[in-house]
Amino acid sequence: MKRFTNVNPRTMKDAFAAIGDGRQSGRHVSVAGGGTDLLQLMRERIVTPDVLVNLKTVQSNKAIAASTRGVTIGGLATLTSVSSDDTLRKRYTVLAEAAESVATPQIRNVGTLAGNVCQRPWCWYCRNGFKCFKNGGNACFSAAGENEFHAIFGGGPSFIVHPSDTAVALVALDASFALNTVRGERVVPARDFFALPTVNPAVENVLADGELLSEIRLPTARAGVKSSYTKVLDRETWTHAVVSAAVVLRMEGFDSVATRAWCSEASHRSRGRCQRSTGCWPASGSPSRSRPMPASWPSPTRVH
Amino acid sequence: MMQQPSTPAPKKYIGKATSRIDGTERVTGKATYAGDVKLPGMLHARILRSPHPHARITRIDTTKAAALPGVKAVLTHENCQQTWSSGAAPGGNIYGGQPGTRRLFNNPVRFWGEAIAAVAAVDPYTADDALQLIEVEYERLPFVLDPEDALKSDAPEIYPGGNLAPNARNQKQPETYRRGDVAAGFQGSAHVFEGKYTSSYINNAQLERRASVATWKDGALTLYASTQGISNCQAHMALDLGIPVDKVRVICHFMGGGFGNKNQNHDFDLLAAVLAKETGVPVKVEFTRKEDFTAVHGRWPTRQYYKVGVSAERHVAGRAVARRQRHGPVSEGHGRHLRRRALSVSERRDDDQSGVHQHGRVGQHARSCLSTGGLRHRVDDGRRGVQDERGPGRVPPQEHDAEVQRRDALHRYSLETCVRRGAEQFDWKNKWRKPGSDTGPIKRGIGMAIGNILSGLGRSGATIRLDANGRYTVFVAVTDIGSGAKTTMALVAAEALDVPLSQIDLVHGDTDSCPFSVGESGSRNTAQTGRAIIDAADSLKKQIAEKGQPTGAAFLVATATPSPQLQGVTRSTFCAHFVDVEVDTEVGRVRLLRYLACQDNGRIINPLTSVSQVKGAVTMGLGMALHERLLYDSRSGVPLNTGYYGARVATHLDAPNVEVSFVETDDGYGAYGSKCMGESGIIPSVAAIANAIFNATGTRFTELPISRRALMEARA
Repeated sequence: MKRFTNVNPRTMKDAFAAIGDGRQSGRHVSVAGGGTDLLQLMRERIVTPDVLVNLKTVQSNKAIAASTRGVTIGGLATLTSVSSDDTLRKRYTVLAEAAESVATPQIRNVGTLAGNVCQRPWCWYCRNGFKCFKNGGNACFSAAGENEFHAIFGGGPSFIVHPSDTAVALVALDASFALNTVRGERVVPARDFFALPTVNPAVENVLADGELLSEIRLPTARAGVKSSYTKVLDRETWTHAVVSAAVVLRMEGFDSVATRAWCSEASHRSRGRCQRSTGCWPASGSPSRSRPMPASWPSPTRVH
Repeated sequence: MMQQPSTPAPKKYIGKATSRIDGTERVTGKATYAGDVKLPGMLHARILRSPHPHARITRIDTTKAAALPGVKAVLTHENCQQTWSSGAAPGGNIYGGQPGTRRLFNNPVRFWGEAIAAVAAVDPYTADDALQLIEVEYERLPFVLDPEDALKSDAPEIYPGGNLAPNARNQKQPETYRRGDVAAGFQGSAHVFEGKYTSSYINNAQLERRASVATWKDGALTLYASTQGISNCQAHMALDLGIPVDKVRVICHFMGGGFGNKNQNHDFDLLAAVLAKETGVPVKVEFTRKEDFTAVHGRWPTRQYYKVGVSAERHVAGRAVARRQRHGPVSEGHGRHLRRRALSVSERRDDDQSGVHQHGRVGQHARSCLSTGGLRHRVDDGRRGVQDERGPGRVPPQEHDAEVQRRDALHRYSLETCVRRGAEQFDWKNKWRKPGSDTGPIKRGIGMAIGNILSGLGRSGATIRLDANGRYTVFVAVTDIGSGAKTTMALVAAEALDVPLSQIDLVHGDTDSCPFSVGESGSRNTAQTGRAIIDAADSLKKQIAEKGQPTGAAFLVATATPSPQLQGVTRSTFCAHFVDVEVDTEVGRVRLLRYLACQDNGRIINPLTSVSQVKGAVTMGLGMALHERLLYDSRSGVPLNTGYYGARVATHLDAPNVEVSFVETDDGYGAYGSKCMGESGIIPSVAAIANAIFNATGTRFTELPISRRALMEARA
């Protein structure tokens, strides 16, 4: 690990000041929420900051607050606090379940919601320091390499799979993200926060340089809404999802469904998708043969 | 004549669940492992490793690194020609003098992660920064990863003369074992089955990373090591450094696991010693977790070709085996395991086994070299082909009996008892259904497998001292790699001396104060060092009878270093494992719903730690059966999934609740009839799980791991 200067800000204002100072002096600044992901990237020298701004010492931005307008979750709320919050468990079950499914208890106790949403891909080429799109290069080694856990949809030129469980739940919940810099705030819908590699294969989201995901905002939970999160793993725990599904469903009216045997276009497509992503490993090992996700594809199975 | 096992009479101190005598120190963080050792003025070393699987270093410039403030020494192949033998010379013979003799720094380098340079500095961060300043130019050379490709005539050579690893006689030939007329055996068979089985590279994955601290005084080395055996580590350090054994002191008071790859001395031990000598101050070498998963060996992957002939009576009439083991560029040992007197399944055998050098990680010892999954599996395949309706567990126990009876006398044969008792406890008879019976996507199935591991005897030592206060101090060179060996040794001493455990102090893990010990490998410490304790206790008791209890400052001391031999019999641990699985074929998930291990490990000295040993072994087997596989990028030769996360070593949540049922025996050998324990549980586990998956799905998987991917592909 390269030597670095650690900064412990007490407030977000201090944090932005530290980020600004570091950048102005031409130093590479990294920001750590829980730091569980960043630490590993630093050990591998994939990220080599001169200054580390450690947000763990910031006292704000940890609260989970419910109001008539919904729920706001500070970006520094830990995954454990998200998964154990009564309101979230009851009314935004999908998010609590997704947070609870992340990694291991040790990581959830330290890792933050914003950090989980913003974590870097776990592609083994990227994590082994191959000079790929994610590491300042202009290739994706998975395309002709070991790509068992790479993208079937939305790939190209990079084929990473976004590793965040909570991201899937937040998109399904129609959450919005408050992004802050020292100059102010902008709010983007969760579904627009994550960027396809066709836009910029080096990054996974629309965060600008120096911008932080400071708050996650959930809309008011409507009556009768049920939600749940599930994922398929290669073992019982501590791997990233091979495929995951977040469902937010409002049940109203009828108990039964149709006047005759009904072939639902949407569920048919979903099923096809599910089979592709769990059951299909191209014999050639080349994900480039798969089709990109259609632009009109709905965000994870959602029936509002 | 074979003797049936009988339940041994209970003893006074052993055989009762006893907490570890060092448990408090371990769980409160007071235990000092090698990585915790801090000596005054100690330097920290870090290692630069090869980014290529095969390359010649054409230029290496350490000027900038050496000039970095805080850097005290930089070693490369240019200024350090230290041999690292450690059983790793060709043929497994130390100092074989052959072209493959390993040094700490080699040029060319022959696998990704091989050491290029080492830096000692005032702290690990300075050392790490210095590594970045070392300039290396490589001439990249062609490499080969696949063991069968490596045997082709046009394959890049790891050493001149072909890539077949030398056998025990240092000849580049397969290890072979032939007995009887195999062709006639096949001709007389009602069914002949053939198949190719592969197993993957498995990481030892011990929690404690490799670490060593070395310090010199007056030409003598003191090494705080993380080793499975201080005696063999001491001997091999002395050999490699060219100094007398009494100039090497090895200390290891606590161990955080090894599973076979901390035998003898290692590069981290030698690097610490060489750097400490160079700088004149103590040096600590501690690997990173990644180095721990890449720079040293794990279980070798194999390709195994089997041909098994089965008679109408379901006896194995003949078998032919060809096995290729992927050794990496160095053979740690030489694959002699085939020649071991494993439980024979046939009078007629034609076995052919060889290690193959290639440009990957070195592969070798990892919790039972026998547990490579194939054979049991294959023979079960053969049997099942004949007797689909009856299922694996319905193979009458007499059949196993018959196999063994044809061998020379196997002492206290209890496999039949293990199978029968296990089948009863598991309720096999009512649970068994035809393979692939479930028509839905979620399929249940059961499987079983048998296993054995020879439980030999041999030399080890112990000293016991009695003082005037009536305290007994037991000196044994154990390090306790996690098995609970310290507690086991103290219990054996309590029993042998007939005094409570509270009257016993244990001095261990220091070659200056402890007599020779066999070390904790081959699951033999309890039987061998335990025997030495009993002999020393007997001798001490005689002295007490003659001289009376010591008074004042006087002591009574007794030492024993017995080398007991088996008289014309073979001694073995036996296991029969039963497992109930649920396979979700839609998502390719296997869950172990129930796991029962029925084992004869001789007399159980400490049921608490013995059960843990079997549970741990089964959990490792589970990882081997379902998850672990070391992937290389074929274009660059870089290993991709190292570390606990990437390697998918089984976690607690993956592990089922393993029920352990011991068939206790006491054959008079070992320490009160104890046999080997630590490795035994893994041997049948892989085949038991594979058989259960077959029973659930009706599909036989011949490649390990039986991953989600494999299950999904089979369904497609």
